This record gives sequence, C-alpha cells and structure tokens, in this order.
Amino acid sequence: MKIKIDNKEIDVRANQTILNVASEAGIHIPALCHKEGIEPYSSCMVCVVKDKKTNNFIPSCTAMIQDGMDIDASGEEVVYLRKKAVELLLIEHRAECEAPCRIVCPAGYNIPLMNRLLQAGKTEEAIELAVKEISTPRIVCSDCPGYCENACRRKKIDEPVSIRNIMLFVYSNIRRENESDPDNSQDASMQEENLTKKVTNHVRKRFSSRIGKLEQVEQKEWLKECLEDSTRIREITGFTVAGNEASNCMHCDCRAANDCRLRDVAVELNVKDPSGKLVNAPILKKISRSADLIFENAKCIKCGLCVRACEDNKDQPSLCFINRGFISIISEPLTEEFENIQKKKADIYIDVCPTGALTRFS
Amino acid sequence: MNKEERNIIKSDCNCSKTEINEIKSVVDEVISITGGEKEKVILILQEVQKRLNYVPSDALKYICEVSEITPGQISGVSTFYSQFRHLPVGRHTIKICTGTACHVKGSQLITESFQRELGIDDTHNMSEDSLFSIEEVACLGCCTLAPVIQIDGKTYGHVKPNMTGEIIKDFLSTHQGDKAVNEENNDQDTDAEVRIGLGSCCVAGGSRDILSNLIDTKESYNLKIRLKPVGCVGVCNQTPLLEIVTKDNINHRYTNVKKEQVEEILLKHIKPASFNKRLLHRLNDLADTFVSDEKSLSPVNLSKDVREKYLNNFLNLQLHLATMNSGIISPESFEEYRMLGGFNALEKTVAGIAPVEVINIVNNSGLRGRGGAGFPTGKKWKIFSEADGNPKYVVCNGDEGDPGAFMDRMLLESFPYRIIEGMLIAGFATGAQEGIFYIRAEYPLAVLRIRTALENCYKNRMLGQDSKYADFRFNITVFEGAGAFVCGEETALIASIEGKRGYPHFRPPYPVEKGYNGKPTLVNNVETLSLIPWILNNGSDSFSSIGTEKSKGTKVFALAGKVSKGGLIEVPMGTTIREIVENIGNGVGDGRSFKSVQIGGPSGGCIPASLSDTPVDFEQLTKLGAMMGSGGMVVLDDSDCMVDIAKYFLSFTHKQSCGKCTFCRVGTKQMLNILTLLSEGKASMADIDELERLSHDVKNGSLCGLGKTAPNPVLTGLQYFREEYEAHTRKICPAKKCRELIGYVITDNCTGCTKCYQECPVGAIEFKPYEKHKIDNAKCTKCDNCRIVCPENAVEIVNINEDKN
Repeated sequence: MKIKIDNKEIDVRANQTILNVASEAGIHIPALCHKEGIEPYSSCMVCVVKDKKTNNFIPSCTAMIQDGMDIDASGEEVVYLRKKAVELLLIEHRAECEAPCRIVCPAGYNIPLMNRLLQAGKTEEAIELAVKEISTPRIVCSDCPGYCENACRRKKIDEPVSIRNIMLFVYSNIRRENESDPDNSQDASMQEENLTKKVTNHVRKRFSSRIGKLEQVEQKEWLKECLEDSTRIREITGFTVAGNEASNCMHCDCRAANDCRLRDVAVELNVKDPSGKLVNAPILKKISRSADLIFENAKCIKCGLCVRACEDNKDQPSLCFINRGFISIISEPLTEEFENIQKKKADIYIDVCPTGALTRFS
Repeated sequence: MNKEERNIIKSDCNCSKTEINEIKSVVDEVISITGGEKEKVILILQEVQKRLNYVPSDALKYICEVSEITPGQISGVSTFYSQFRHLPVGRHTIKICTGTACHVKGSQLITESFQRELGIDDTHNMSEDSLFSIEEVACLGCCTLAPVIQIDGKTYGHVKPNMTGEIIKDFLSTHQGDKAVNEENNDQDTDAEVRIGLGSCCVAGGSRDILSNLIDTKESYNLKIRLKPVGCVGVCNQTPLLEIVTKDNINHRYTNVKKEQVEEILLKHIKPASFNKRLLHRLNDLADTFVSDEKSLSPVNLSKDVREKYLNNFLNLQLHLATMNSGIISPESFEEYRMLGGFNALEKTVAGIAPVEVINIVNNSGLRGRGGAGFPTGKKWKIFSEADGNPKYVVCNGDEGDPGAFMDRMLLESFPYRIIEGMLIAGFATGAQEGIFYIRAEYPLAVLRIRTALENCYKNRMLGQDSKYADFRFNITVFEGAGAFVCGEETALIASIEGKRGYPHFRPPYPVEKGYNGKPTLVNNVETLSLIPWILNNGSDSFSSIGTEKSKGTKVFALAGKVSKGGLIEVPMGTTIREIVENIGNGVGDGRSFKSVQIGGPSGGCIPASLSDTPVDFEQLTKLGAMMGSGGMVVLDDSDCMVDIAKYFLSFTHKQSCGKCTFCRVGTKQMLNILTLLSEGKASMADIDELERLSHDVKNGSLCGLGKTAPNPVLTGLQYFREEYEAHTRKICPAKKCRELIGYVITDNCTGCTKCYQECPVGAIEFKPYEKHKIDNAKCTKCDNCRIVCPENAVEIVNINEDKN
C-alpha cells in the first residue's frame, strides 16, 4: 500500500493508523489521549491531520490508512487546528504548572520543593537544593520584600507560610557549611546578577498554565494537603521548626510540572495560556493515602487514558467517566471519593495520565 | 437558563433498612424479567426507575452484585443519559418542552412561572407537598401546540405564563379519573365511520375528551356508527380533527372540534335509529336555538366549502408517500393495513425479486437517507449486503432528538406497519436476520404502537422463526433510548444499544461493516424505511420522477414556529420554502413579517426570507449553510432575535454534547459564552470575530456529526443577519427579545383597568385604578404576563439602551 504524508511517498503495510505510519517514517505528530498499547479513542484531537483528498481533518490516532491517501501532517491549517485544540484544553485546565510563590520569586527559587523536602525531614536534600539554586554568594531573599509570601495562596485563607525566613534559614546553613569558600565580592556580584537573571527567565519564560479565578471554597481544597492550623512560626530556629512551618505549605505547584504532556505540547506548539478559564466544576482534590494517589479534577483533560488502561471488572473496579459533556469527569465507580483505589491500579493511572490530574500524593 | 445539571451518586444513601430491602426486591424482580447481561444495563435502569421513580445509589450497587454489569459501567451509563435520576422527585413530573418551537413561543417564561407557582428553584426541585417536580425536556414533539407542557402523561398545549396555576388545578382534579375509552368491535352494517385523530398532538388538543363524548352520544342515541381512532392527520394546529364518512362515501371534516359540539356534529350527519331518539334530538335542538347564540356560529352551520377550505389548501400541495393514508388508517390495526395494500410490497419482494434486484430498485429510485446527511440508501444497502459477518443487524433510527422535529414520532405512531414492512424489505434485500427499533424514551406512544404492531406481525407469521416465508426469517426487537441527543449519530446509537455510554467513534470503520457487537449493522432513519414499500410497489421510476435532479421523492417536514398553520407535511423535493411557508402554512401571524426559516434543527441554519424561493433539496440547503437535517422547519418572524436563536441552539448542543472530543466539549461552551455575552450586550465586535473563527474550528475539529454541524446556526446567523449581531454589541436587540436589553413600558392607551397589576407576580406595577399604570423596571422580571392580559395592547417592549445611542 502506498500513501503520502507531507508529500513523502511511503510504502506501508495495511491495517495501521496514520499516526503509526507517520512515526515510523520519522514524522512527528503530537498526541495526548493516545498511548501505545491502549485502544485508540480520539478525544484530544491534537493529533489531527488533513486528508487532502476529502479536505477533512481527521484524528491520526484512530484513522486507518487507505491506499493512495494523501495526508498533510504539518501544514499551516493542521498546526493551527492543533494549537486550537490545546488552547481549548487549557481553557478548562484550571491549574498551575508552577506555584504562585515561585512565579513571583525574582530568582525563581523552587519554594514548593524546598517546603516538601523540609516537611519530609529531608534536610540534606534541602541543603542540596539550596546549594544548587543559590549558587550566588548572597541569597536574593535578603534584599527582597517577600513577593513570595504576598503571593502565597495560604494568605487568602489565613496567614502566608513564612517562606522568606525558611529560605534565609536554609541559606544560612549553607553558609556555615561552606564557610571556607572565598568571598570574592566584585566577581560574585556580577555572577549573581547574571545567575539571577537566568533563573528568573527560565521559570517565567517556560509555559505555565494559570488557574484563573478561584472561589473561597475552592481555595480551601488546598488545605487537604497541609496542616489546617492557622498559627505560623515566624522565627525559624532549626530544621525541625522549618519542617513544621513548611507543613503549612498547600503545595500549589503541580506534581507533574516536569512530566506533563499537555505542558510539553503547549511548549512544542507555542501556545499561550488562554485568558478566561471556563469552570466546569468546583475544584476538588481527592486523596487516597493507601494508594498514594491524588486526583485533581480541574487538571483532567478527559482523555480517558486511565479509564481505558485497566480492564473494568467487578472485583477490582477501575475508574470510569461520569456525567456527560462539558461536566463529564473521571471518577471512582459508585462513589466520587477515590477511597478504594488499589495501589497497583493507581500506579497505572499515574503512569498513563498525560497531566497532573492523577499523581503520586507523597 | 444556564445551570448545569449534575447527576449525583451518593456513596452512602440514607435509605433505611426496609427501603433497602424494597430496592433489592425491585431489582431482583426487574432482572428476572430482563436478564442480567451487560448490554441490558439501560433497560434495567429504566425498569427500576419506572418502579421506584428514581434510581437510588443502593439500587446501582445491588444491580452490580446480581448481574454481569460492572460498577464502572453502571456509574458511567446512569449518569450519561438524562433520563436517569439519582434523587427522588415529586410524584408528578411537569415536563416543560424547550424545543425550538416552544422556545420561540416563550417556554422559558413558562418554566419560571411554574417555579414561582410551586416554590421550586434550581437547588430544590420538589414542591412543598412533594407532589410536583419540574423537568425541562428537549422536545416533546408537539411543536404545533407550542408552548407545550406535559404532566405525567397529560399534555397541555398553547400554555401561557399566567395559566400555570390553573393547569395544576386542572391536573389535580382530573388525573385520577381519566375516562376509560373502549375501542369496540364494530359491526359491519353501519351508517357511517367516524374518525378521530389520536396522535400525540391530537391527544394534547383534547381528542380523548372528544372520543369519550362520541361514545356517550353514540350510546345515548343508539347510533349505528363505527368509531375509529386514527393516527396523525398532519393538520396538527387544527386539532382535534373529526372526520365523518357517511354510507354514500362522502367525507365531512371538522377542525378544532370542541367537546360540546360533538353531539351536534354527529347528529347532523347521522340520524338516530329510533323515533323516540329522533324526537329527543329535535327537542333538544329546538331548546338550544332559544338559549344559545352560539348556535349560528357553530361549525355545523357553515357550508362544507368554507369549513374545509383551509384544510384543502393545507393538503393539496402535499404528496403523501411516507404518510400515505394519513387520517384514514387505524394505526394499530394489522387487518386494515393489509386491506389498504399493506405488505403487498413485502410479499411481492420475497416471492419473486432477488435481493440484488431489490437493492438495484432502491438504488435506481435515487432514495437518500432521510436522517440528515442524505447518503444514497441503495449504496448503503449494497455495502452492507456485501459485508462479512453473521448475524447482520438492521436498526431503525427513531432517536429523533432535534428540538422542533416530530416527523419520526408521527410516522412511528401513525404507520408502524409501514416502517416494519420497510425494515423487513431491507432485511430481505441485504441478508440480515435481526432488526432493532431504537426509539427515544420521550415517545411512549410510538414505542407502544410499534410494540403492538410487532406483536401482530409475529401473530400473523410475518416475523419470527416460524415465519410464513420459507427462506426469510427475521426478528425485530425494540430498544428504548434513554435521553441523549448524540445517540442519533449511528456509532453512538450502537454504543448505546451495547449498554455503553453513547460515545460516537471515528468512522471508518462504518457500522455497515463493523457495528453492533462488531457485526455489520445497517442504520436507517424511520422515514427512509417508510418510503421503501412505496418504492417497491410503484417502481423506482415513479419515485425518481418526483423531486429534483439529485434529491428524489418526497420529504416529510415538521412545520412549526410562527407559521399560522403548522403541522406534519409531506411535499415533493424541490418545493420552495416560500410555497411551504405561505401556501401550506398560510404565512406568519397577523401584523408580523416572515423573517427566516430554521431548517435542520441544531445542525441546520436559518435561511432568510429573501432566499425563500430556494427549492428544498439536500444540495441547495447545504449550499446555503443549512442542512436538510431530519426535517424540522421552524418559521421565525420579526419578533425573533437571531442571536437568541443561535444561543438557544448552542445551549442545546452544548448540553447534549457527549464530551468526548475537545472541540465539541469545550468549543461549544466557549461559543455559548460569547453568544450569552452578546445577548446581554456585553460583547464587542472582536468577540464576533472570535465567535466566527471558533465556529470554523469546531466544525473542522470535531469528531462526529454533532460537533461538526453545531456551529451551523451561528454561521448562518452571521452570514445572513450579521447586522443583528452587531447591533447587540451596541446593546440593542432589534427584535426586542434579549431580556437584558429590553424593558416593558405602558403607553397612553392604558385605561387603568388594573389587570396588569393583578397579573404581575412580583409587584412591579402599582395599583392605580382609572389612571395610567407604570412598570417598575427594577422589579420587573419580564414574565410577559402584563402584555398578555392587557386588553388595550398598552404594554410595549422597548430597547432600554436605544436612547443612549
């Protein structure tokens, strides 16, 4: 069988999808709802290509090749429609790739990660992170009014986490450990400036989805991930104290920030995060501690990979879709709580989920 | 109304032990009847809901325990189809039709009025006495009686917002004692045959009352007449329709019959048998002339020409193939269908035409699928007949979900045997063994009629294993849809029969090759199948001689909206829109001008009056950006706003989208948002451009027909009525329809009769007898009551922002 993709003649076996044929021929077609080994479904429409003979746009993950087909897989119209698909997915993706504190930090420090490490008592890793990020002699925090704490989502509920003091404390511990280092001030300040710029640019320039307007009740959902206590420790005197204060962090960053196919595709297609997000349901976080799974509904793009990945049977129910249309969402069958998920299945869900909707809780 | 309806499955139900036991015994009972296979899930849920009035979470759990159905499947299915409720509702459900015709005639105001009357709001859908709940339904298919509501089985037509209290009272006083109507066995020797329409529209128009009066009159005068309930006559706006055929074979037709007139009409044509009865009649008659002025106005005293003038206009331009014998034939009678030539086509075919030849005949006739897209039927049959697989299925698609369309319902209700015959011929020609009728649950009468007809066909050995045809065995079953518009799409329809969520999938593979259970499945529309017997009887040439070059035969339309005389009509392809609207429909109402006609429902478009000389055929309509669709034709006048219409359709498709693909799920929502902003005067010209771009994207990027055609109402609106869209950016609604942009004022014509004050539900009008009244626009909810009751037409609607520009 002979077909043409992007004007390239290809000899192919019958009974293959256009997507398969293209990838074998080295033509890249992005796709979100498709994964090798799982039955194709055609939901995201990011893999769309154009059949030049019928002028129809078709999903390449499901469409089978036919003899003599002439496919446009990267033309202007095709790329436009793909961009549009990603844009529409992002409109209902009420989620942040990066936490507000990190976005506003002039140095782009990975504050949420620092908090996680401190909370888990991983002191060494925390210092390691500080060393990696704050390789300048002076921490930016000392001169910063604390944009991070102003942006901290916790502030909208009660009090912000004492991010600045935590960072300064961790930094002071690097200083002590690396005291012998020479302090070449002239060079260092130059270096610092450059580095600051670089770090900042790196975080801010990378595509990040925004969450849009949040209702008060929705903000409280984040409290599920932290201590609800509203007293804050302002003076950080040791790693235990730092860890305790870090436990107030609501973890607004996405657990899949660096493992998100939606983000990757947005970057690849150069899509801007659309302004004005659409609300299909209030944001809810469902946590199963036994399966170490967290489901965040607003991040789900309804690709159905998790639903298709496991066979649904009576003894071990798998996730299913509930409701219809714009408000359809995945759910644990017969309940919406995600409490009885098996660990083995949870791992599969986390693996196939293209976004941060289903991630490891810990 | 922009609320999202959400189904709720509660993890733990607060049912008490006894209730749980009751639930379990109900489920056990249902499953013992239906069986517990996976694909029975929709049927099981329907039966459980029939018995419990809703489907409690405990029932769902228990169904999974005792059947093959899995928790994932039942959660998915029971929340996908809008028929299933997971919370208890009031004893009676008030179904308010929000179809196109009802929408343009103000169904939203009706909903609000019922909500006020019953103290129901979006959060609490049950009246205080637990008697009533409100449900907005897509279309009840009684478009000519718009706006329509249905309480349990009882339909009320032409409802006005200020009538809701009375309707509830009427319902409560009558619903217990619906007079049992015996359909009797009539003796042969009668003076006349009296036909009364019992299609859904006629029933809604009160034909059951007429029938019961007919019976009374017959008994009290001992008349020798044969009472015969018939299917739809098509003259739905003139219901109830009574026809008397006297012994000498003369037809006398009466439209809009009132129950008080029954006796008089009957006795005019039929003489009572005995002298005493005759005398009684004479005396009564004499007394009446003295006490009643109305006597002279009664239709009995009008001459036949005058009485039937309109009817003839309505019927003469039509050509009845699919609706042959409408108004004559008794829908459920097998014998009568036979007597009028029914099943001749089937007998002839089975006896002496080779299957290949049958396909050729259908092919040569030029018949194209009447479901919307217009794929050549013969070609489809040919591919299907050549496909490998056993058994092969023929599915009749009766999931007519288009708001504003009721052709399929009427055909199923009135001519069940014809459609069965069509399906049998299809089965014979293509080598299929199994047939399935897929009928939407909102059409209970259609389901009933088809079931009865099928029973009779089995009895008469047309169907089944011991069929009288030696080489042709065919079985037909009925599947009731559960309320999902997307299931009209053939791949979604098949998913639904398989007991899955009604998700369409990408074609190819087409169902004719790989459909139900992976076997070849031929999905044909109701009207398509009902044309088959005619073609076989009369030959392909006679069919192809009707119509235009590429669209052959006739097309059934549901003519409704602002047209004076709506109804179910069948016209040859190529008839112009103007002929339909002006001649058959008798134009729009007095003082209004014909603005546009909406063809094809949510997938179609609005064709402006200026293009109404366009002949109706597949290509012509598509060229204009509309679509034949299944044949809904809603006429709009100058009081209809095109932005409002587009918004109405988008909110429909958005609500009915299955949610599988991105463009349809999110794109239609985004389009709806822009349209809503427009209707509120909050959108800019840039938003219109964005709307147009988005429309093209949704059209290109959607997976199935629903999404691909959803933008059509917007695109045609922008193409033909752009200035109207642009006016909305200046906060003006030229048709004075968009509620955020209009206000009510009382003009100097006001005589101070205080009627408006009495009808205003929110106290926006002050009580000022004999003085000019005034409406407080801050309080006014724009319910339209004052305008309806004002005897002086002193209440006017104005654009509140007009002066500012």
